[in-house]
Amino acid sequence: MNYRLLSIILMTIIIVASVFPQAPAYTIGMSQCNLGEPWRVQMNADIKKAAEAHPEIRMVFKDAQNDNLRQSAHIDEFVRSGVNLIIVSPKEAAPMTKPISDAYRKGIPVIVLDRRVVGNDYTCFIGADNKKIGKAAGKWIAKLLGGKGKIVELKGLMTSTPGQDRNSGFREGIKGSSCEILFDADMKWLEPNARKEMESALSRFTQIDLVYAHNDPGAHGAYLAAKAAGREHTIKFVGIDGLPQEGQMYVKQGILSASFEYPTGGREAIETALQILNGKKVSREITLPSKVFTKENIDKGGEALPE
Amino acid sequence: MRTLLRNHIGRAVLSLVLVMIVGVLFNAEGTFFRWDTHRDMLRQVSVYGILAAASTIVIVTGGIDLSVGSLLGLSAVLFSLFSIHWGWGPVQSIAATLLIGVVCGMISGGVIGRFKIQPFIATLAMMVFARGVAKLVSGGQKISSAVQTADGSYSYVSVPEIFDSIGTRIWNDNIAVVTLLMIAVLFAAWIFLSQTVAGRELYAIGGNEEAAKYSGVSIPKNILLAYSISGLFCAVAGIAQAAQEMQGDPEAGASYELSAIAMVVIGGTSLRGGIGGIHLTILGILIIGYLEKILSINAVGEETRLMLTGIIILAAVVFQKKGH
Repeated sequence: MNYRLLSIILMTIIIVASVFPQAPAYTIGMSQCNLGEPWRVQMNADIKKAAEAHPEIRMVFKDAQNDNLRQSAHIDEFVRSGVNLIIVSPKEAAPMTKPISDAYRKGIPVIVLDRRVVGNDYTCFIGADNKKIGKAAGKWIAKLLGGKGKIVELKGLMTSTPGQDRNSGFREGIKGSSCEILFDADMKWLEPNARKEMESALSRFTQIDLVYAHNDPGAHGAYLAAKAAGREHTIKFVGIDGLPQEGQMYVKQGILSASFEYPTGGREAIETALQILNGKKVSREITLPSKVFTKENIDKGGEALPE
Repeated sequence: MRTLLRNHIGRAVLSLVLVMIVGVLFNAEGTFFRWDTHRDMLRQVSVYGILAAASTIVIVTGGIDLSVGSLLGLSAVLFSLFSIHWGWGPVQSIAATLLIGVVCGMISGGVIGRFKIQPFIATLAMMVFARGVAKLVSGGQKISSAVQTADGSYSYVSVPEIFDSIGTRIWNDNIAVVTLLMIAVLFAAWIFLSQTVAGRELYAIGGNEEAAKYSGVSIPKNILLAYSISGLFCAVAGIAQAAQEMQGDPEAGASYELSAIAMVVIGGTSLRGGIGGIHLTILGILIIGYLEKILSINAVGEETRLMLTGIIILAAVVFQKKGH
């Protein structure tokens, strides 16, 4: 190695060291199962925003691109690089249980976000309850329709737990009223599919009172279909997720009657992480409260759902 | 040759008729007999149809373009970015988007023609790369009328008129503008493939590349042209997609390449190249479009839909194969 190369390396180290005057005390690894969904992009953004308020934390983000094996490799990498804490939003419970358990048994605190793992080898689980949200949506809708009406349900992926829970919770919520599900279809969380299915519902049924979609893009797709048919004023639209740039915006624009928030838990994850790192005890299970956004309450930041 | 071609059309038409008979039998309380249903089907297949036109041009050369879905997504994002967030006029936004589509196609075509890289690999690389660019420029979020400000909150702008002009229906509400776009693209592709020298040369390359080379056809130049046109059509599809959704979704078009290829193959165009054309692709588009519509109006469950679609694609292709 010649002296020039050596001096360049030394200079680089000095410059890098001076840019970061104080090394952060804690490194937190965040493993996201995929960044293809806006909701998960929002989760990372919430974590980043919360972490920026604490200079003692350095965040490392990894995106598993919907691949269990890649995500478990990411957890191993975090362990080997010696992070102080791991936040993980697992793709699936069974394949992710072992890598998470291994990390936890090596003494690294693990916060599991949104989707569960099997067993008890983690420090804390943070998540919202889709079934509860679906049920709240059902009750809210039954009330909005005055106890009776014809509903189109545009389901998320019915092979996924959120899709199943938002479906079964909703059906529980409208039970006892005279609301009737006229037409239901699986739109796989995708707006173009929702529009396509809604077009079929519109050409088949002359009276539709409300569309309940398992996510806000689905409700928006249904709205676009109804608008093209000139029927958007006779139909109400309700969605789930309540992201600021989607559901909340649609409510503000009067497109959706309501959007039910499915909180990302990003802020809560960082708060909990700090407590753990500072040696405080945290509860093993944190269920995130949800909100409903309507035209009346949107400017006040939504309204909390009753427990 | 002529009888063989007539045979291909005959078989594709017969497949379409069979699908239509299913529609007549399962008409969902008469829904299948209403014009709305057909008009909506034609809207719904439009972006797929445009991608199928792009794929046809590439497939007759014996190649394949896996990047059409990603290029659609990238174009949808860029068009929305230019026109909604940057406030460019419709002409500039459309022109810039089309130009970038052509450039992406030229990169694929250049690599395939010049360096003899297999189309499958070259366009796979473009598929992954273009999706990455779409996610990068959009920050992973949909480009819509919600604009994120520096502090993370959102302000709302209005979506330019051009979105509505493309996303709407005209002629007394009887046809979607995107359907007319698809028809225009299919017509242009048909003229190009069947009426121009360059088009005939693409068939020659697909039929027998060596023979084409020795009879004086420039392979790299023609391959470059085929993939550039494919890129251009993808950009048109991306604009049509964004206009209908009122936003640019970086995930738009994922797996659309498979539907586009299925439409081409079901029509009867050979994946080996040299045989087929736009007239067959049109039938393929209608077969898939009607199939999806019939399953949708009958509210058939997702599991059944996937299985039925698989069976029908296989049946149609086996049926086509008999013509050889």
